[in-house]
Amino acid sequence: MRVVTVEPHRHEGVFIYRGMEDALVTLNMVPGQSVYGERRVTVNEGGAKVEYRTWNPFRSKLAAAILGGVDQIHIKPKCKVLYLGAASGTTVSHVSDIIGPDGLVYAVEFSHRAGRDLVNVAKSRTNIIPVLEDARHPLKYRMLVGMVDVIFADVAQPDQSRILALNAHTFLRNGGHFLISIKANCIDSTASAEAVFASEVRKLQQENLKPQEQLTLEPYERDHAVVVGVYRPIRSSSKSRSSK
Amino acid sequence: MLVLFETSVGYAIFKVLNEKKLQEVDSLWKEFETPEKANKIVKLKHFEKFQDTAEALAAFTALMEGKINKQLKKVLKKIVKEAHEPLAVADAKLGGVIKEKLNLSCIHSPVVNELMRGIRSQMDGLIPGVEPREMAAMCLGLAHSLSRYRLKFSADKVDTMIVQAISLLDDLDKELNNYIMRCREWYGWHFPELGKIISDNLTYCKCLQKVGDRKNYASAQLSELLPEEVEAEVKAAAEISMGTEVSEEDICNILHLCTQVIEISEYRTQLYEYLQNRMMAIAPNVTVMVGELVGARLIAHAGSLLNLAKHAASTVQILGAEKALFRALKSRRDTPKYGLIYHASLVGQTSPKHKGKISRMLAAKTVLAIRYDAFGEDSSSAMGVENRAKLEARLRAIEDRGIRKISGTGKALAKAEKYEHKR
Repeated sequence: MRVVTVEPHRHEGVFIYRGMEDALVTLNMVPGQSVYGERRVTVNEGGAKVEYRTWNPFRSKLAAAILGGVDQIHIKPKCKVLYLGAASGTTVSHVSDIIGPDGLVYAVEFSHRAGRDLVNVAKSRTNIIPVLEDARHPLKYRMLVGMVDVIFADVAQPDQSRILALNAHTFLRNGGHFLISIKANCIDSTASAEAVFASEVRKLQQENLKPQEQLTLEPYERDHAVVVGVYRPIRSSSKSRSSK
Repeated sequence: MLVLFETSVGYAIFKVLNEKKLQEVDSLWKEFETPEKANKIVKLKHFEKFQDTAEALAAFTALMEGKINKQLKKVLKKIVKEAHEPLAVADAKLGGVIKEKLNLSCIHSPVVNELMRGIRSQMDGLIPGVEPREMAAMCLGLAHSLSRYRLKFSADKVDTMIVQAISLLDDLDKELNNYIMRCREWYGWHFPELGKIISDNLTYCKCLQKVGDRKNYASAQLSELLPEEVEAEVKAAAEISMGTEVSEEDICNILHLCTQVIEISEYRTQLYEYLQNRMMAIAPNVTVMVGELVGARLIAHAGSLLNLAKHAASTVQILGAEKALFRALKSRRDTPKYGLIYHASLVGQTSPKHKGKISRMLAAKTVLAIRYDAFGEDSSSAMGVENRAKLEARLRAIEDRGIRKISGTGKALAKAEKYEHKR
């Protein structure tokens, strides 16, 4: 009989469940509740029972990126995250688990049907702030959002680079990071996937969004890529002296 | 230069202390690295706090549409007009509107963007009177009220009330039954004949409450509660009862129980009325098709109106008969023909032979009504009334001639009659 354990992943706030099958899990902030019908596992840790929720990489691009071996997700406990394209809140709930009660995730979603589910998820998790506005106009919700450390963009729109850039200029702090999920079909269905990814990365570079890594989400998604990068990197003081 | 900065707790007007630094756009961010440095370059001139979430909501909607709401107008007039300095705004359109309406010169440029970024990153430190916790709580509250406003949330369309009310109704019935049984048994020790004479539970309790001890029956006035002969019977039985004597205290306790029973009965009728009102408000078409109780039970069984709308008509037909359904499926026998729908008035008034057929037809039309109520915008019951009329017509047709086809041409009709005569 194999002993069931949960060990921390390289990324802070994410864990690996080792039981009958291995799974990616996050610590459930609301024990006893499943957000989208996912499996929950309870483990004995030093006497207390701790509950984790399994993270499905086929439904969540962030989980697919982690399992694909992305170097840094930059979303860690106590972080402030701006999540564009929150949909029904399935991945947002996992981000909420990772950042914990001291972090904040601003979940932006324009669709009303998905927004209804998002608001329900946000009711039991106080670190999710639902924003039911169009991400194309960040100035419209500037009253609600403060400066964030990470932007995660999963909007699946042809002008998603512009959307990310606008939001970064308004809300992302200097030296903050961004993760953008690019669906090649969505941008240009005639061009090859690699060409689409390259052109998107070029568009990002023009807006001061410096890409640091790119990986495709095979085998979970087809023709999808996640680009991780930094915005207005803070150059160390020695470098700035030399440039002057 | 003054800066207008909107937050979830209020409007903030900052004054730029060191305008020279604004010339170097690229290194402006360095001035906002720490709260102390930030306070050196901008200073809070005025902070207009929102009194409650309603004010904040109004401010936000005005901001979104690019208009100026009254509060902002007041602040701008008071502070900015006096200072005679240009105002930096985050939104160019808003700047245009301010210039038009209040004749204040507004600035919007990359410098202003940098300034806004800096202020936003040091928001907590630059606005002293507001604690970070308060700001976070206000932000959350505002976000939720905004989303409710966007989703056009209306408080009287919440189906949780129905689910809870129907569960409470069932609980009350069970409890009421228990209490009444207990009351009868207990008082039966003292006056057993009353139980046999008065079968209605509420009358029993009221009678008991009025009289109490057996001795008082002769002098008591029970004419409002009971008809004459029954009253006479009761009084006669009281004289020759075989029950034992009980003390004042015991009668007192039994009376307490009776009062409770009567109160609960009254509350139950009230709750039923409430349920009827809610059902009519939330799902008028369903109420017209199957009635309030059956409709409420269907919604409670599925969990919510939206969940119920996702079910197929065949599922709604046998909702409530799951045990029989799976038992029949496992042993490859006939599955049940009706579940909760059995108690609808349309199914109740047909002969047993046709109950299955009517239940199927009713389920099909009811599911349309459910979906109309769950997803439709208007809340009239016209669609339900129409469908019910159709069903009633079909029901009559079935009842009248069992062998007759409901649909089809008149020729088929004539044929059947011809064969009948031949016999």
